[in-house]
Amino acid sequence: MAKTPENIALDQLDKDQIKTFSDFLMSYNKLSETCFTDCIRDFTSRDVKDSEEKCSLNCMEKYLKMNQRVSQRFQEFQVIAHENALAMAQKTGKL
Amino acid sequence: MALPQISTADQAKLQLMQEMEIEMMSDLYNRMTNACHKKCIPPRYSESELGKGEMVCIDRCVAKYLDIHEKIGKKLTAMSMQDEELMKKMSS
Repeated sequence: MAKTPENIALDQLDKDQIKTFSDFLMSYNKLSETCFTDCIRDFTSRDVKDSEEKCSLNCMEKYLKMNQRVSQRFQEFQVIAHENALAMAQKTGKL
Repeated sequence: MALPQISTADQAKLQLMQEMEIEMMSDLYNRMTNACHKKCIPPRYSESELGKGEMVCIDRCVAKYLDIHEKIGKKLTAMSMQDEELMKKMSS
């Protein structure tokens, strides 16, 4: 069966969703690793201590807030870079 | 003004290039986030809010990281162009 444009668009959506999901899983693992190495240092007992749990959860929340800020700044830089490229293109186009 | 016709092969190439660029950008973003986390957030998590100093550090870290990224890119291009010229001279 030949693929209709709708089918192709659907495939693309699937691909994007899968990519987003896999990105999410990757960052979840990365976050666990970071917070585990930063917060859990004591292996004299098997139980997760209250302080360790609190540290891990704080670590997660802080990481997300940091990520938000980084993404904001990154976007700002990209907007500026885009504007510069546009201005450059217009200038060279006129010359 | 009509857009010049682009062959399907060129279109595929262009799309691949765009995908690579997006991939590269997201890789850059992830590396930058990790680097700035390491440099700006001390591994003591007594609270979940970002401190003022940490916020300033993150802002500077992002700006500096992108600056360095650009500078290295420029230098790399210059060096590879120089290399190419040298190769041309050698072969001629």
